[in-house]
Amino acid sequence: MKWYDRITMIDRRVIYLLLTAFVIIPFFIKVTIPQKIMPQTRRLFDFVESIPPNDKVVMISFDYSPQTQPECHPMAKALLKHCFARSIPVVGLSFEPEAPGLAVDALVSVVQEIDSLAAKKEDSLVYGIDYVYLGWKSGRIAAQLDMGEAISGVFPRDYFGNLIDSLPLMQTTKNYKNVAIVIILASADYPIDWIRYPQTRYGIKVGAGLTAVMAPQYYPFVQTGQVSGLMSGMKGAAEYEKLVLDHGYARTLGSAETGMNSQSMIHILIIIFIILGNVGYFFSRRQKGTQK
Amino acid sequence: MKRKLPLAICFFMGISMMVQFFIPHPTSLNFGSMIYKWIIVLMAFALVLAIGNLIRHHGFKIQKGKEDWPYSIVTLTSMVAMAIIGLAWGIDPDSLYQSIYLNIMAPLGGTMFALLAYYMASAAYRAFRARSLEATLLLISAFVVMIGFMPFGQYIHPKFPAFAEWIMKVPNMASQRGILLGVAFGSIATALKIILGIERSWLGGKE
Repeated sequence: MKWYDRITMIDRRVIYLLLTAFVIIPFFIKVTIPQKIMPQTRRLFDFVESIPPNDKVVMISFDYSPQTQPECHPMAKALLKHCFARSIPVVGLSFEPEAPGLAVDALVSVVQEIDSLAAKKEDSLVYGIDYVYLGWKSGRIAAQLDMGEAISGVFPRDYFGNLIDSLPLMQTTKNYKNVAIVIILASADYPIDWIRYPQTRYGIKVGAGLTAVMAPQYYPFVQTGQVSGLMSGMKGAAEYEKLVLDHGYARTLGSAETGMNSQSMIHILIIIFIILGNVGYFFSRRQKGTQK
Repeated sequence: MKRKLPLAICFFMGISMMVQFFIPHPTSLNFGSMIYKWIIVLMAFALVLAIGNLIRHHGFKIQKGKEDWPYSIVTLTSMVAMAIIGLAWGIDPDSLYQSIYLNIMAPLGGTMFALLAYYMASAAYRAFRARSLEATLLLISAFVVMIGFMPFGQYIHPKFPAFAEWIMKVPNMASQRGILLGVAFGSIATALKIILGIERSWLGGKE
């Protein structure tokens, strides 16, 4: 067997083994590679940065499932840190049935982190005043449209069973007039409904944090301004984490940084394998052409 | 009557919801709000139907001892157990329900999705070949986007990130916009066909 035939027939177990090694290595060897921030990530950051403190809320729609947790969860945490650090109240909700568990986890872990650093009791975050999680609701397009009239009409109780009207934050957050932007963190085509219906009717600003596979679909909406900013995959999450860190809203980077290193390593490995496969293919085709 | 009444309801609701979307009058808004609440309730009933269907499907598999029937026991047991745990002990952040979700459900979901990386790497190595001009162009753009979006892509060549961004913002956006317009026109045509009673397959049965 010629060398070029051999490189086109690498055993898949070797590929799997190398892939595993390339994923694990960045967890032990910490390397921080400077990120070039993509314009759409900066636009989302700048939009949140422009919201006055203790005024309108940022609505975060947690619409990702455990399958895409490594990409979307760091986005959620970075975004929450940014909002809380700037005293912007957050209202969370979900239209993906698997998402509430992750939404609660993101909120609790960020709140605990901020509270542990709080110098005074007044600096710690309070559920119902600084943030609320409404939970999951079926019939998302109908719910999104109806929230334009009254959020309490769609969510009479929050995720934990509290009456919405009993929560101080929700007493001042009646509908989209009190929402600065809704940011959808999703692994599926959820943001399009927000653009088509509530944005068209109520003019609500829409931002998104999407998996890398989904993000290219939303580039046209970023260009038209219908999407005010976009985090694209793990790279977007790592960029947002960096922006939050650089502006002094966090003390450390999140998990997207390490994830990004693993992802980059895998991309390099895949590129090497594709090159090997094509070199072998090129030479074997040339050999066959010569023989004919 | 069995067919005409649903068609009449569909026509009335389709037209009225279309009209009310563009009229911000309180009467129109109240009507819309009422319908939206009905939709939310109806969708919740669909969930009940789905649970019923799941129980029926897996119950049948267990009863008949069909292939992989033990997995059906796992599915049904997990569903019932999670429902009981959630209803009995709540869904607070420190609850047993949340603990099971974060420590079993989330890692399992992540593991299943992570397996894709292995198949993708293996498949890309075997199938991603420059066999034609189109395949070569696809290969080159994939390389540029992958390298350009990696943090150290800029160190391989300073123009890589800008070129990757250009691919996403120009050829990708043009094709995405075309797809979006096509889907939008198709949706409008389908919606009109349903509202006007031309498309009746949603009624079920024979014409």
